[in-house]
Amino acid sequence: MANKSESFAVSTTPPTGIISDRQIVILVSLLIGFILFFFMLFPLYSILKMSFLKNGHFSLASYYKYFRTPRIARSLHHSFYVAIISMIVTTILAFFFAYALTRTTIKGKNIFYTIIMMPLISPPIIQALALILLFGRNGLITAHLLKTDWSIYGAWGIIISEIFYCLPHALVILYTTLSAVDTRIDEAAESLGANAFQVFWKVTVPSAKYGLVSAAALVFNLTITDFGNPIVIGGNYNVLATEIYSQVIGLQKFDMGATISVILLIPSVAAFLVNYYISKKSFSLISGQARPFLRPSRMWKKIGFTGYCILISACIILIYVTVVFGSFVKVWPYDWRLSFTHYNFPSIGGYASLWTSFWIAIVVGIIGASLTLVSGYIVEKAKPKGSQLLYLLSVMPAAIPGTVMGLGYILAFNRPYYIFYGTPWIIIINVVICNYTLGMLSSITNLKQIDKSMEEAATSLGASIITTFTRVVFPLSKVAFMQTFIYYFMRSMVTISAVIFLVSATVHLAAIEIIYLDMDGRMGSANAMATVIMVIVLSFLGVVRFIGKKKFSSPQMQQSSV
Amino acid sequence: MSKELVLENLTKKFGELIAVNKVNLEVKEGEFVCFLGPSGCGKTTILRMITGFEIPTDGKIWYDGKVINDLIPQKRNFGIVFQSYALFPNMTVGENIAFGLKMRKFPKNIIESRVEEMLNLVGLTKWKDYYPAQLSGGQQQRVALVRALAPNPNVLLLDEPLSALDAKIRIRLRAEIKRLQNELGKTMIYVTHDQEEALSIADKVVVMEAGVFEQVGTPLEIYQNPKTSFVADFVGTSNFFKGVKEGSMVRVGDLLLKVASANGVNEDRLILAIRPEKIEVGKRGTLKKKYKENIFSGRLDVATFMGVVVRLMIELNGNEVITDVLYTDYEELGIKHGESLDIYLPPNGFMVFPDK
Repeated sequence: MANKSESFAVSTTPPTGIISDRQIVILVSLLIGFILFFFMLFPLYSILKMSFLKNGHFSLASYYKYFRTPRIARSLHHSFYVAIISMIVTTILAFFFAYALTRTTIKGKNIFYTIIMMPLISPPIIQALALILLFGRNGLITAHLLKTDWSIYGAWGIIISEIFYCLPHALVILYTTLSAVDTRIDEAAESLGANAFQVFWKVTVPSAKYGLVSAAALVFNLTITDFGNPIVIGGNYNVLATEIYSQVIGLQKFDMGATISVILLIPSVAAFLVNYYISKKSFSLISGQARPFLRPSRMWKKIGFTGYCILISACIILIYVTVVFGSFVKVWPYDWRLSFTHYNFPSIGGYASLWTSFWIAIVVGIIGASLTLVSGYIVEKAKPKGSQLLYLLSVMPAAIPGTVMGLGYILAFNRPYYIFYGTPWIIIINVVICNYTLGMLSSITNLKQIDKSMEEAATSLGASIITTFTRVVFPLSKVAFMQTFIYYFMRSMVTISAVIFLVSATVHLAAIEIIYLDMDGRMGSANAMATVIMVIVLSFLGVVRFIGKKKFSSPQMQQSSV
Repeated sequence: MSKELVLENLTKKFGELIAVNKVNLEVKEGEFVCFLGPSGCGKTTILRMITGFEIPTDGKIWYDGKVINDLIPQKRNFGIVFQSYALFPNMTVGENIAFGLKMRKFPKNIIESRVEEMLNLVGLTKWKDYYPAQLSGGQQQRVALVRALAPNPNVLLLDEPLSALDAKIRIRLRAEIKRLQNELGKTMIYVTHDQEEALSIADKVVVMEAGVFEQVGTPLEIYQNPKTSFVADFVGTSNFFKGVKEGSMVRVGDLLLKVASANGVNEDRLILAIRPEKIEVGKRGTLKKKYKENIFSGRLDVATFMGVVVRLMIELNGNEVITDVLYTDYEELGIKHGESLDIYLPPNGFMVFPDK
């Protein structure tokens, strides 16, 4: 019996495009490589050039000047001091929190997890704002209740802010680590006669060592590069990141700014590398076979860990309540009448800045999610020659402090022929590049789950690489695409450090307005702006999740473990 | 004119590793060829070179009189069925089957009738609008099969298509693939590590080991006349003995065996192989009456019940010999573990290979 339909009597091959799949891959790789080169390496190069060149000659004069000016040189010591203490405290706090969520049978784990993750959706200076309201010169607790002159401005203000700012980041790593380790080894230790403390110190902690190092390195990196909290609560206590800003924006000393940037780059890159290599190592240890079965914890353990989680959660909630409440109080802490006066933003940006921030965040989300998905596809699936270089370029941004990148953009692009300079587009590009690493890594993780033969099937059926991408790979990456989109949206809404160098007389961003309002002494309005940003991010998340539920609950999504 | 697929000195190296080493093969139009071998023997690499997903390091692949080494996969018009099915989970069964037709820009009505025809072929008509995840593994692989067949490929390549399925479904689908091949007369190249599957399905079996072809032949030739000890071992079950020629006989340890084809091998050191079903067993002293030579006394080690037959493991002068007897014969034999029995190794039942 031959084919019934006559059309199939002869074999046909599909028509092919003008350029081949290989050429398309190479073209796209070159384009992405160029983008990363031009918008990441070129600004970095500009900073290096500025710091090492004096009148066209190599010179260490700027570095000499840095170390000979005590007020500036202090910032290095300050940065390390703050970063190391924050690193130690945050890692320990996060470890016990993660332990409670993964290794005990306490109630309310979901609530605790949600609360500790809250800082991720808010501007990264909310912690400092809350501390000032409570412990500042006019703080509710310091000035009002205790009637003391002491205030939190300075090192401890920064450290406490950083701890709460970094907690969710450290928790995610430790939570993953502790969930992945097989709890049966704990039980084996117990059966061999170890008591609870011995098990904890000799088995649990060592088994999480990679996670601990990785979390500590990440916290160190986040803290030493953070700009928002130190600028708001640091007072006279200058750190590297804020010193760059003061030198450049305050004093117009670009060479000194560049020099401090290079000095800041060293510990930041080092911490990034530690985190990167260790987390690679630790994830290779995670086996799918670890099926933790939790026995009910003892009473004292439950009470202890529940108390601990409540304490940490309460602190975080206090931060948010303070800021939101502070935005409605007429004159904190003297006139407690509620009013909306702080929501009449007096600064130049005002409500317009919120709109600008919003649409920029949407554009950043779309461009960032698309670009990282395509890059991930190139690196993970298409693998042309040199794709490893592309991978390297893609993970680099996380190592570069935002302030350094911001200054780099000024030095590189403040030329009349870069017409995008001074427009929202430079901000969009900057935010996309600064957050490239995580977008790229999550896109790779997602693409790894797509069976290679799926694409080969499409190819063998006659699909070109573009058809394969649009008809097969992209539909299967929709969920991951949405996640990256949301990540970029949130980052764009709240980011401060890099873009503070890039806002101009015509382009204002809401998160930056918080800093300006605070500098103007308008604390209430700063709180109000922070509150509005959080409301926007939360509502947006809600809307996306609502749409997502409707759209992604179709039967096709039942596939997951092919 | 018939369209032949020819592999000529085909070689693939991955760095230092030689995955496929100068293999030659002719596949006639309408032939069903099966590559059989253990994992890592290079059979999938050959398939991937034929599909165009791997570029040969050396040698040529000919199809229809042309060298196709550098032809992109889309232009080869070969259909592929994957072990993991590789159905597009975001498309319905119908959309999956239509995919290759859409790529070839067939008009809509032709696509629709072709999809119906294909679904009919495997009895899945009513599943057209379901998503792959809603189908069983066997159904999914049927869809994958007709998806590959829909654009009427010149050759259909199947890469361990049944390995992910349950034993029972595997046997049923095996028969179905064979039926489709008979009906459509399509050239098929099939890769498997399952010798039973290979023997039952193919016109021609290619046994592979370490990147080279050990033997090419019909299933019967492969089973009855294995060219190498590897083939004798890999295809079916065999008992192996190492022996040395001694006059007209072959010495294996303390045993002196008469081996019909011993002179077919020039070397003195031999490897003898004998299939379990060639061996005969009986109560002590009974076989002496029937046969003149190669009767020995062995001791029953283990008897494992396998349904119709019972597999006996017999200790014979320090060698372990496997033989299968019908369950009814085993009952009649009435021998327990550790007891002695007669064992007959027929001289013309041996396969003889040189011992390298």
